[in-house]
Amino acid sequence: METSLAHLSITEAAKKLKVKEITALDLARACLVEIEKRNKSLNAYLEVYTDVEAQAKVADAKRAQNEKEGKASHPLLGIPLALKDNILVEGRVASAASKMLEHYTATYDATVIKKLKDAGAVFLGRTNMDEFALGSTTENSAFGVTRNPHDETRTAGGTSGGSAVAVASGMALGALGTDTGGSVRAPSSFCGVVGLKPTYGAVSRFGLIAAVSSFDQAGPLARTVEDAELLFTTIRGEDALDSTSISETEYPARTAPKKIGVPVSLIAQGLDADVRVRFDAALVQLTKAGIPWEPIELPTLSVALATYYITNFAEVSSNLARFDGIRYGLSQKGETLFDDYATSRAAGFGAETRRRIILGTYVLSAGYYDAFYGKATAAREQLRREFVEIFKKVDIIATPTMPCPATTIGEKSDPLSMYLMDIFTVTANLTGNPALTVPMGTVTRDGKNLPVGMQFTAAHGDESGLFAIGKLLVL
Amino acid sequence: MISREDIEGLAALSRLKLTDAEIANLQKDISDIVGYVEAVSQVEIPSAVGADGPAHAAASIAPQHRNIMREDVLRTGESAARLAGKEEQVRAAFPTRQGDFNVVRKIIQKDE
Repeated sequence: METSLAHLSITEAAKKLKVKEITALDLARACLVEIEKRNKSLNAYLEVYTDVEAQAKVADAKRAQNEKEGKASHPLLGIPLALKDNILVEGRVASAASKMLEHYTATYDATVIKKLKDAGAVFLGRTNMDEFALGSTTENSAFGVTRNPHDETRTAGGTSGGSAVAVASGMALGALGTDTGGSVRAPSSFCGVVGLKPTYGAVSRFGLIAAVSSFDQAGPLARTVEDAELLFTTIRGEDALDSTSISETEYPARTAPKKIGVPVSLIAQGLDADVRVRFDAALVQLTKAGIPWEPIELPTLSVALATYYITNFAEVSSNLARFDGIRYGLSQKGETLFDDYATSRAAGFGAETRRRIILGTYVLSAGYYDAFYGKATAAREQLRREFVEIFKKVDIIATPTMPCPATTIGEKSDPLSMYLMDIFTVTANLTGNPALTVPMGTVTRDGKNLPVGMQFTAAHGDESGLFAIGKLLVL
Repeated sequence: MISREDIEGLAALSRLKLTDAEIANLQKDISDIVGYVEAVSQVEIPSAVGADGPAHAAASIAPQHRNIMREDVLRTGESAARLAGKEEQVRAAFPTRQGDFNVVRKIIQKDE
């Protein structure tokens, strides 16, 4: 049993702070001790901020001030959090784990950061990720792989691997990640924590380094569903600086979930047998808790992964065109202007990023555009409609989050085999639905117990349905 | 398999300098990946979806497919305040700075 304050849930820590059993400084120091012990081998943080204790002292002073004035303190006041390296914090480096932005200092706060600062959260540092959020295991970072705390020969999952490891190993009480095709949920599943991909537009994207703008959402990683809910309700909301953000009343409210749908043909293949056993056991538990399941079919799911990757390549190639070595970021000079661009981009981008830019250029080329991007956009809309229809019959779609436990480092060196692991997570990004991963027990590999996650997907805007069912799954 | 010339053409369009070894690897990787995602071109999409082109598909419901316009006026209020006064930080990020200017290569040249 872990006794350090660094292993408390946010909710527990907030209670202790409220009754003055502990201070924000105690919490921050407890996390720094764990970071000192474990970050060197796990490589979760790319940078630990030097002013963590100072931030904690400010939080303690704010709490004292609030008490004096009879004002309630936000539950996140003084809570130490980790931030993925693609979220801008004014005056601090945000590199997206890329050589391209290695020395880039953010000029303003992301909206999610502004909201957390207003709440009084303490930022411990920035966490490792796949470069520009392109990958599934955090092996594509320009600054080394992040290791899984349950077995250091294994990956943390990705792309928010550093954030998941920080939460799983006591190096932060909670964290922010971003999810483009499973980037919050996959590492949460591999590391045994809770992770939420909110409804598209629920959380402002202003100040996130863009990967795939029509998929990206910032989301929390936490130890409990309650903590994820608290972080989500703090960062959500419409934002004048993100035109795709939506109000909390954009979608009609729903009642608590009563029925689960399981896409049986999707999970019939490619799933590790013991992950399936854990999944079936979790369904039994939820049935006992009063939420039975039924098989569902979503015909367009069969091409979801292809649809996802075409759209990903296309948007990545256009989003990353902004990195030209002219205005900011890595800049190298060649013989001509063309060489300036081409050498800066070759030196700044890693192999997977270059591969996706080339693929995006290919699928958007004249002659291929209709067959790839055009078809993918239509398939995406068809899938979204199927989801809207199915949520008239069921309240939650359940699948395993990942088809397997954490991969070993180097196991998925072939890019296509890496992409195939995202089979269950990409659909929520295609359709804009919210999805939550919750630990559903462990499976054994090489004598080590490795966590696996259960993924719940809900109707647009129904995060509360996800939190309700997630709280029922206590293993 | 996709040809070496095709990869070189895509690299030029993408403004990326690639090594010979990387081109050879990409020929294989891109052929495999395109072979997989090609499945989507076989999908029969009901005429109600995307018949008028993807941009028109369900414009009324899916926020990510909606064109969102705003008035071409100066921002005011909180969102303006959040962006105000950052000019110096932006200039500080210039790769080559001279005073308040970002030094770039001369691109207009005399005909020879």
